[in-house]
Amino acid sequence: MVKAKQSMRQAGATGLRAWMRRHAFSLLSSLGSLARYPLAALMTVAVVAFAIAMPLALQLALDNIERLSKQWERLDTLSVFVDSRLERPAIDRLASRLSTWNGVLAVDPISPDQGLQELSAQLGLESAEDVLENNPLPWVLEVTLDGVGDRSGLIDRLQSQSEVSNVLADIQWLERLDAMTELLGQLTLLLAGLLAAGVAVVIGNTIRLDVQNRREEIEVLALVGATAAFIRRPFLYSGLWYGLLGGLMAWALLSAGLMVLQDPVARLGQTYTESLRLLGPSPLVIVMAVGGSALFGLLGAWLAVSQHLRRIDP
Amino acid sequence: MISFQHVSKRYPGGVQALSDVSFELGAGEMTFLTGRSGAGKSTLLKLIALLERPSRGQVVFDGRNVGKVSRRQIPYLRRRIGVIFQDHRLLTDKRVFDNVALPLMIAGVSFGEIQRRVRAALDKVGLADKEKMYPPMLSGGEQQRVGIARAIIGRPPVLLADEPTGNLDPGLSAELMETFLQLNRAGVTVLIASHDLALIKRLGQRVLVLDNGQIIDDLPRRERGVETEPDG
Repeated sequence: MVKAKQSMRQAGATGLRAWMRRHAFSLLSSLGSLARYPLAALMTVAVVAFAIAMPLALQLALDNIERLSKQWERLDTLSVFVDSRLERPAIDRLASRLSTWNGVLAVDPISPDQGLQELSAQLGLESAEDVLENNPLPWVLEVTLDGVGDRSGLIDRLQSQSEVSNVLADIQWLERLDAMTELLGQLTLLLAGLLAAGVAVVIGNTIRLDVQNRREEIEVLALVGATAAFIRRPFLYSGLWYGLLGGLMAWALLSAGLMVLQDPVARLGQTYTESLRLLGPSPLVIVMAVGGSALFGLLGAWLAVSQHLRRIDP
Repeated sequence: MISFQHVSKRYPGGVQALSDVSFELGAGEMTFLTGRSGAGKSTLLKLIALLERPSRGQVVFDGRNVGKVSRRQIPYLRRRIGVIFQDHRLLTDKRVFDNVALPLMIAGVSFGEIQRRVRAALDKVGLADKEKMYPPMLSGGEQQRVGIARAIIGRPPVLLADEPTGNLDPGLSAELMETFLQLNRAGVTVLIASHDLALIKRLGQRVLVLDNGQIIDDLPRRERGVETEPDG
């Protein structure tokens, strides 16, 4: 052992500077192998980029939908149908009581007459009063929510009031959308996991071919005293580059897609007289996607190289 | 420096390359290894450089039992042995300079030092003006000398050469041998496998003769000039 250390020192193999030089050599060597077959390298990078961009785009779409639905929820009101036997003073008491609740922004009582007028206007009738002998509509309280609190809990609580006959929340579709985006979010995670594994496999396969092509070089390196770590290192760097470049390319693709979609989305918003805007991925997501891609590239390279160097066994 | 103690090597498949080989090689000694092809010369060299492990017996290099060297330690041992191959084993897609520099790059030597030492080594083998060429552009003899430059660049205490003059004409062979003699005079232990009997005889160094995996003769070194001295 002592002898081995001595011989290492004799060969100039110790020290931080020597370590850095060896790494610099591996780094350059890995870049060289990428540059030697630029088209093949580009193809691998592109495959990685697509694999990363797909779940990223899906996640981005879901993010935007979620943000929009939050916006719509905030505008929403509940229609509370009051027991038809109740009359004016009781209605006002109920309204003032409800308005003190947490999560309730405002309560507007709508009288049966008002309701009938609105209805007839909506149905395009001259006057519903002409058709109906007596007004069948109850008092309705329009409850505006602050959009922060627990909506369904509030609805349950309203429903349980003895004066309330029915609560109409016509934003059920929003709830469904929420559930759907949540489901799709889970699917995206699953897809991201699969595609990350795909990235590792694609890069691993590219590295495997590289190892095969450079078999002679590997053997010669081993003959002149290269350690296994030294032989492995350029390939690991290559894997890292493929992953990193793929991740960056995915980001570029996504940004380009966002730019293309910005105008159509704004136009769509105009038809709803709302200002719609697509938001890009957050810096954290970008860092995670690019970093994760690089990491999985490294992992794939490591798997391929360890396997193949053992098989070549120089 | 190198000691074989009852070494046998049997390849998978049953080929017995070496059987019960024992000899000692002192530090700074120059020795030829000869015998017909298939006699086990290459195997013997490979056992020293740990390209193969002995089936039986011990190979001791510089006081260490080579057979007990762990896989992790093999590279460091190989750095202390310069090996010259009959088929050169040069990287054809790398320039002569980079080929020769390989052992130093592996060791993490600074670029300035690499440059200096590669030039010196190429100068020593007479290829100072060929550093930017690729090996396929060179003649067989030149390629062999690039291999020698690569083998000596790390200043290893031991140099092994497998048929270094195999494909060379007599003039070049003599030149190459002179290079080996120079290195030996500088203190390097040299072991050369060769079947060029005329050349070996002329140089008058120690000769080990292998036949069928066994050492059948060990001719000691003759003092220079003994041959030409008149009898009586």
